[in-house]
Amino acid sequence: MAKKKKEQMNSGQAEIRTPFREFVKNFKKQKTALVAAGFLICLALIAIFCYQIAPYGINESDYNSVLQGPSLKHLFGTDEFGRDIFSRILCGTRISLSVGLISVSVAAIAGSFLGLIAGYYGGILDSIIMRIGDTLFAFPGLILAIGIVAILGPGLYNVVIAVAVFGIPTFARLVRSSTLQLKNSVYVQAATGLGASDARILFHHILPGALPNVIVQYTMSIGRSILTASSLSFLGMGASPPTPEWGLMLSNSRNYISTQPHMAFFPAFVIFLTVLFFNLLGDGLRDALDPKLSD
Amino acid sequence: MLRFTVKRILGMIPTVILVTIFVFLFVRMIPGDPARLVAGEDASPETVEMVREQMGLDQPIVKQYFDYIVGLLHGDLGTSLKTKRPVIEEVSLRYGKTVKLAVLSLAWSVFVGILLGVWSGKNRGKWQDYLGMTIAVSGISLPAFGIGFIVIIIFAVKLHWLPAVGAASLKNYILPAFTLGTSIAAIMARFTRSSLIEVMKEDYIRTARAKGLKERTVVWKHAFRNSMISVVTVAGLQFGSLLGGSVVVESVFAFPGLGSLLLDSINYRDYNTIQALILIFALHFIVINLIVDILYALINPEIQLS
Repeated sequence: MAKKKKEQMNSGQAEIRTPFREFVKNFKKQKTALVAAGFLICLALIAIFCYQIAPYGINESDYNSVLQGPSLKHLFGTDEFGRDIFSRILCGTRISLSVGLISVSVAAIAGSFLGLIAGYYGGILDSIIMRIGDTLFAFPGLILAIGIVAILGPGLYNVVIAVAVFGIPTFARLVRSSTLQLKNSVYVQAATGLGASDARILFHHILPGALPNVIVQYTMSIGRSILTASSLSFLGMGASPPTPEWGLMLSNSRNYISTQPHMAFFPAFVIFLTVLFFNLLGDGLRDALDPKLSD
Repeated sequence: MLRFTVKRILGMIPTVILVTIFVFLFVRMIPGDPARLVAGEDASPETVEMVREQMGLDQPIVKQYFDYIVGLLHGDLGTSLKTKRPVIEEVSLRYGKTVKLAVLSLAWSVFVGILLGVWSGKNRGKWQDYLGMTIAVSGISLPAFGIGFIVIIIFAVKLHWLPAVGAASLKNYILPAFTLGTSIAAIMARFTRSSLIEVMKEDYIRTARAKGLKERTVVWKHAFRNSMISVVTVAGLQFGSLLGGSVVVESVFAFPGLGSLLLDSINYRDYNTIQALILIFALHFIVINLIVDILYALINPEIQLS
């Protein structure tokens, strides 16, 4: 209530420049990122309503029109079972987006938590957490994910776990360094002096300060996660047939690559577009946060 | 400099030890009994026990780890469960090919990436910048297998200019190296651009311009050199994505390197080979990072002081 009143009081005067408002203001200047955000919203809608808008069922085989190029009847052509590639790609949106969002969310939450603890308490806990993180970093990204899937066995759920694990150290490092900075700031010291509990200081005072960096990293990571997950499916370690996963669809097109290039082209193109939009949005958020490069 | 190098090498040791522990535990984390897996589904309990003894799995875990390390120090990477021959044999057959592919990919991508980055950076805000950065952001968004398929369709299937599979001649390396390097070139371009833009704001650049130097001299002699300091670090880090990417690219081009061996081993559940390969990839990545750190200190002496 008090906060609202204060805002009303100030509305007549010049707007208060809080870091968050600056961020929103800067972000609104990023035209490309706004367009990317618009496309991503459309993509999310497609993911939600894919089964309603897809012209054919994802496993609907039409043996009279097997391996056909794009036409008005089948916009992106058909595959070796006569399934409509356009419908399968629409429904694949749901898989790729959820794999990207879930794995990065898990990585962001777990990584931020570990980073907060490591940075705030320091000492042996910090050493242990960061050492393990460094060790995970020693495994080149995709190799770590492949190793984890090799242990857990192939499947989409295990791909999510693998991609999440390999994102955790990145978030932990990021949040740890913000925590180290914020720990010594005047307002955190004031809160400590007033007797605030550790949990309150960590989640109420330090975490919001680290959040903008986490959001930028989060957006950037989703694109990369979708790429990693579809790579794993492509290698036969992720989704299994007949799931309309984009990487898997590309993998299936291998045998027809010389005669039916459309089977490879469309899945590759949608992976490209989706990852591109996440990267553009991430770039825009980063520039809004740190306008040094864009001004 | 020597002190810094020694310090960095010593600092690397705990990470290497932790990596070996991770990789060692890797095989033990697999659900099910490894001895049963090796002996086969319908092996008798006696055979399974025999295999277990042979593999040393009946020993305490600390002893097993110790034996593993001693073996590693003697160049013993274990025995392949598929071929029943030492893993090192298969690895040494393929090692050179993957390294050659990685070096070729890194060479072209760093070169092109830096050129594109400088071109964008010095024309900041103009159409060259937008074009360069559009190419770069597309490069990091393209899946490697997608690029691979497209270049196969164009250069192998349609034009018949280059072979699509194998590693018989240098020609075989062109398409895989192009595919593997694309994202690195893109990342290098983005990083070079922002690094160059940062440097261009420095006072000494203004001084250089005020002296009336040609723009080309200002960009290449004054700005470029200094922006390279941070670009070197990024190039080194990209080596990791190169190793990971090699698995995908080798799969697309049926390239007989370490990446495709890793895939074969996973399909065959040849855990000893998987274990050996993951260790090899990780150790290479650690060593490359060490070299990058030392190079970085050489270019930028401030680092040695801190």
